[in-house]
Amino acid sequence: MKRYNKIYITALSTLLILSACNKQLDQKPYQSIDQASAILTAQDVQVTLVGAYNRAVLADLYGGGVYIYADMMASQTVYDWRGTFQTQTDMVNQAITIDNGSVNGTWYDGYQVINATNNVLANLSKAGSAAARSEGEAKFLRGMTYFDLARLFGRDWNDGDPASNLAVPIILTPTTSVTNDSYVKRATVAAVYAQAISDLKDAEAKLPASNTFYANKYSAAAILARLYLQKGDYQNAIIEASNVISSGAFQLNANYADEFPYPGQIHSDNTSEDIFMMQVTPQQGFNTMNEFYASADNAGRGDIVIKDSFVAGFEKDDLRRGIYQPDSDGNLRVDKFDNVDGNVHIIRLAELYLIRAEASLRLGQSGGPLSMVHDDIKLIRDRAGLPEKTTVTIDDVMSERVHELAFEGGFFLYDAKRTSTAANQVSVGALTAFSPKLVFPIPQIELNANKNLVQNPGYGTN
Amino acid sequence: MKKKLHILFVLSFCFSFAFAQSRVIKGKVTDQKDGLPLPGVTVSVKGAPSAGTQTDLNGLYTLTVPDAAKALVFRYIGYKEADLPITGSTLNASLEYDPKQLTEVVVVGYGTQKRSSITGAISSVSAKDIANTPVTTFEQALQGKTAGVNIQANNGKLGQGISIRVRGVASINGDNQPLVVMDGIVISQDNLSGLTAATDPLADINFNDIESFEVLKDASASAIYGSRASAGVILITTKKGKAGTAKVDLSASYGFSGPSRHRQFLNTTQWLAMEERAAVGAAPFDQASDPADFPTVADALAADKAYVEGKFTQYSAGSTNWTANNTNWEKQAFQTAPQQQYDLNFSGGTDKTTYYFGGQALNQTGILKGNAFQRYSGRVNVDSKISKILEVGANLNFAHVYNERLANDDGFNTPLQIVALSPVTPVIDPRSGLISGTPPGSSSSFPVYYNPLISVGNEYTHTNIYHTIGTMFGNLQIIKNLTWHSDFGIDQTNQNEDSYANSLTYRNTSTKTGSGTNAEAIQVHFTTNHYLTYKSTIGTKSTLDATGGFSYENNHFTNNSVSGQQFPSDAYRTIASAALINAGTSTQSAGVLVSYFGRANYAYDNKYLLSVSARTDGSSNFGANNRYGYFPAGSIGWVLSQENFLKSFQSLSNLKLRVSYGLTGDAGKDYYRPLGLFTGTAGYNGVAGQRYSQIGNPNLKWEKTLQTDIGLDWGFFNNRLSGSLDYYNKSVDGMLLDVNIPETTGIAFQRQNLGKMYNRGFEALITSENFVGKFKWSTSFNVAYNKNKVTYLDGQQIKGLGDLNYVIEGQQIGVFYGREYAGVNPANGDALYYLNTKNSDGTLNKGTTNDFNAAQNTVLGNAQPNITGGITNNFSFKGFDLSFSFYGSFGNKIYNGGGQYMSAEASNGFDNQTIDQLNYWNKPGDITNIPEPRLFYANGTGASSRYLETGNYIRLKQATFGYTFPKALLSKVGIDKLRIYVNGSNLFLITKYKGWDPEVSSDFLSDNITMSNDFYSAPQPRTIVFGLNVGF
Repeated sequence: MKRYNKIYITALSTLLILSACNKQLDQKPYQSIDQASAILTAQDVQVTLVGAYNRAVLADLYGGGVYIYADMMASQTVYDWRGTFQTQTDMVNQAITIDNGSVNGTWYDGYQVINATNNVLANLSKAGSAAARSEGEAKFLRGMTYFDLARLFGRDWNDGDPASNLAVPIILTPTTSVTNDSYVKRATVAAVYAQAISDLKDAEAKLPASNTFYANKYSAAAILARLYLQKGDYQNAIIEASNVISSGAFQLNANYADEFPYPGQIHSDNTSEDIFMMQVTPQQGFNTMNEFYASADNAGRGDIVIKDSFVAGFEKDDLRRGIYQPDSDGNLRVDKFDNVDGNVHIIRLAELYLIRAEASLRLGQSGGPLSMVHDDIKLIRDRAGLPEKTTVTIDDVMSERVHELAFEGGFFLYDAKRTSTAANQVSVGALTAFSPKLVFPIPQIELNANKNLVQNPGYGTN
Repeated sequence: MKKKLHILFVLSFCFSFAFAQSRVIKGKVTDQKDGLPLPGVTVSVKGAPSAGTQTDLNGLYTLTVPDAAKALVFRYIGYKEADLPITGSTLNASLEYDPKQLTEVVVVGYGTQKRSSITGAISSVSAKDIANTPVTTFEQALQGKTAGVNIQANNGKLGQGISIRVRGVASINGDNQPLVVMDGIVISQDNLSGLTAATDPLADINFNDIESFEVLKDASASAIYGSRASAGVILITTKKGKAGTAKVDLSASYGFSGPSRHRQFLNTTQWLAMEERAAVGAAPFDQASDPADFPTVADALAADKAYVEGKFTQYSAGSTNWTANNTNWEKQAFQTAPQQQYDLNFSGGTDKTTYYFGGQALNQTGILKGNAFQRYSGRVNVDSKISKILEVGANLNFAHVYNERLANDDGFNTPLQIVALSPVTPVIDPRSGLISGTPPGSSSSFPVYYNPLISVGNEYTHTNIYHTIGTMFGNLQIIKNLTWHSDFGIDQTNQNEDSYANSLTYRNTSTKTGSGTNAEAIQVHFTTNHYLTYKSTIGTKSTLDATGGFSYENNHFTNNSVSGQQFPSDAYRTIASAALINAGTSTQSAGVLVSYFGRANYAYDNKYLLSVSARTDGSSNFGANNRYGYFPAGSIGWVLSQENFLKSFQSLSNLKLRVSYGLTGDAGKDYYRPLGLFTGTAGYNGVAGQRYSQIGNPNLKWEKTLQTDIGLDWGFFNNRLSGSLDYYNKSVDGMLLDVNIPETTGIAFQRQNLGKMYNRGFEALITSENFVGKFKWSTSFNVAYNKNKVTYLDGQQIKGLGDLNYVIEGQQIGVFYGREYAGVNPANGDALYYLNTKNSDGTLNKGTTNDFNAAQNTVLGNAQPNITGGITNNFSFKGFDLSFSFYGSFGNKIYNGGGQYMSAEASNGFDNQTIDQLNYWNKPGDITNIPEPRLFYANGTGASSRYLETGNYIRLKQATFGYTFPKALLSKVGIDKLRIYVNGSNLFLITKYKGWDPEVSSDFLSDNITMSNDFYSAPQPRTIVFGLNVGF
């Protein structure tokens, strides 16, 4: 019977080993934590907020994509495209395909920011003393993102009826699982603008005047000013621009070129003129402006060569033309983005003067001597080494915008759109400003995943 | 279970008692050929196989047999069975060698089985079939040797990923590589490469240590491996010593490789003309988009022409004499690549202990500049019967691989991207005396792109892999017929990748003062198996063997890496000197699998065969409620040739019908997928952050594949002509799928169990001994047809990594889907696409458009071949032997992802163009498929069927010619065996594919969905080696 004992012993020890092994089946990830335990404390809310900035500085969003892609569709007379990325070539050719990866990137990056901010906003009760600031920062990022998504994926405010034109879906709660509610519909341009305004106004109210490199009160006011100008709400544009300007928190740099430092690829801080910048370091973030505008001398792809005719359009003594220099191969480059790990310009003080001046003129205010418009433009022209304009006209302001802000904020497209009317459209390359080809398509992959979405006009149905 | 065992034991005792009356027989067993004693021969009483013994070292045996015994049976692997009547107390036997018998015993999951009693679909390849193949890995050597096993290297780079597909693509997000089990231990196949493309862990294995491969293809054979068996199982058995005199085998080979094919690009004259023409084509468009600058087309043309000609001068190293150079850059990417390999093995043993010691040094140079692979490996296999009932052993494999790797196919610094450079550009810039593009000097746009030649010597990715696979095992005979097997194994890999690029590579790396990354990956894969095996004969006609046990696997990964920039000078290369640590990470992950398995095989009269198996797997990949998967399988076999009604057909030597049915599973390669997760990799400007990274799915469960196999094994003329035919149907349900969810959730996809798919097909194998006399000729032919179809995806469309690979309902996985190119409008040179919009009657509108967006996507062709096969012929006469193997693959197309640059009729920049682009549209009325060149206007360069070509090919994979010196001559100098040979691989290729090689799957565009993409991918090497094998 000894043999049977062996069997029993074997069976028993087997059972013991097996139960030990089964416990091993509970494996937890090392680098990640369960969503249920991710946001429990004030610190958790704060790091979630930081995570929202991390998403915002992705390549296709505030790494620069939202600005440079807009300009790609509208700067045929300004620069020559020498790039080979099909996704960008299609933008320059004003023939974006519904499966354009960069367009999808902007959409997806945008909603990653929105979901991250929603996570913050849903957990403000845990944020303790930082609740107001956290709410302000989250709403700033969310509001700005909705504004830019609306500008890219929807028709311009000026173009048709914003109350019926579709922009992007509005989502205000964090995602925890996929439910029927995840299959959202596109909201109208008016609704998305309203959401952006509401978020940015809350942000302006709740944020402190100073908040290191994070968004502060004036970041929100400045983006609001830009939004109101886009919307043609000049009164509010003036109010928000003045909020920033009169705060005294920001000063124009003495030299135009100082706004675009190139300190040898090491991270640099914001200048006194920067109201908000996305921070890029070698460890995090991506500077899309550098990628496409900078020549290979400065770690870019060198895909964009500025036309001589663009620089010829500057006034003779304009110091700002100094930012346009040939690279080592003689190709004319814009040297605003030559730092591969440089911060990405979101908005700076000079734009606020230009917004205020333009909005004032469009409201019929004077551009003559001693007017606010005159003084605002004088500041800009002084720094550029140019004589003052005795009486500033709307054309003067628009010219200053081009020469001051070129390539920084997608203004070639957005200004063309907002200064057009259906009957009198500004020409944009071979098209006119309200062409449906100057609106991003809704990404095909998103249409496939969500039957409640509809494609923009001009992109067929697939 | 326990009760049943109980009964079996009692039964076996009964049999023992029945043979109580006995006498003793002695004898010697020798080899018929040379009269030498054969140790280890099984001698048993006819009709009572359980009463037996084995011969000792001198071939002697002593066996106590019952009085009733009439005859003894002598069995030895590799020899014909002898059945001799007992005539006295001495019975000598002389066994006849039978090479066919070598495959008599087949390794199966957790055991071995006689070939004749197999009911599953199993393909075997023996070491002999692949010996001396001058390739890096055993997968490459197996190519074309077995039906239904499709093996393909990504490209011609050494040591990189290889895909093995058994009976088609098994899954979308699951594991498509078959499970590889070496000597009972599951071998890790996880890619540990952190830099550039995947490396192949199986490349660490010296295939000259391998005795045989068994590919388990159907559920009956593989379901005992339950999970991970859906993609098939490859069992590897390594060499063991044989009792008898010690043997020493030495092999050495030396050879060289070159590209198996070249691709032709424009020469200087052609290129200059085409770029000039592209300026002409662009001018009207430039005028239209900027009428302010260009009032007339002539104005635009003047500007464009000036621009293009400025570039000619720039790319001619500043010389206005553009035709001074005519550089063939394509040839500059390649080098003549020597390789050498040395193997030294010792084997032997006594009747109690056998051993095998193997060592190898392999040094291969790649055909691409900068690519090399070295492997130093050793193996120790020892097996000892330390008592009558206990056998223990250990297998230890250790290897060091050193791989000098290259950038991925999409890197500007990968050698073959050199073809984009202009023929007007000299290799050496006369202004600097350095390779064109080398700093100092113009760094940004001379030559047209970064010159990959600069990377040679100034940039490296050195991979050092230390891979150890060790197993200890014991077999304890608890009682007669019942054996307990335990083994413990550790498969450990340390992979270090050290990459560095100095300041001269600046244009590619964007860091002016050097950059480097050092990445360390450690994988420890622990396995233990414990099982009981019961083998018995019941009565005189039935045999039963049963196996049951459990196994535990734990797989743990640790990854560390650090990246630095800002090196003091190019003399400093390690990150210790980097002033800026720009990235660093350290991560871990682990998975556990706990399994219980059992199998019983029953055979009656060698005619009727039955096999059932089952396995339960618990995987840590799933949540607590869905952890366990249950995978049963059953099969039956009917040996028709044993039936009386077929016995009259003398020529028929074997006919067996097999039918199997069962379930296998896949837990996916990715851990933690049921969980909703936040990750901490979301810092901002040096401040810590977290972000939502994965949406959970607590209901995630096993992907299951139901497999049916109907097979017929046949043999004629004493098996001189034999083969098999199989039909199979593998249906996958509840596929593990990354389902696109609205990105508005902030997450792009969720892992779900969604989708159905099948693989159905036929496999045929025919082997024939055409001549068996002094002149021997044998042929082995295999062919497989597979139809893969995704039948349900809930309307999802999943896009692969490439431009056109998709998963779509009703189509093959990875099907090419996109715009259908319609050629060129003869009137204006516009590229045209078929609209393919749906007409009201459901048909497709085949009208054309020049608007890429107006054209709808349509199915353009398959990315997987559906017919693959191989044929091998072996000839021998006196000492000479000759063999050659062809491999063929049919039914897929190949998408040239580089086409939009290299075959873009100069519409997409200054990239040099393939020679076929010369046939571009030039003037109204021209009928051609190549549109008008329009510089930077991307005329027809969108991803479309324009860049799809047939991928069919037939290739002479291997050819070997050898001579074995006569024994009589060698014995005088104390040599047992001496053979010299010359081997050539990839000697020629028949294909219509215009690229370098139709055997392609670009390294950065390879996953379960993304297949058959070419992107500046290197061709397979053509290799010639000379070698010798010596045995002492």
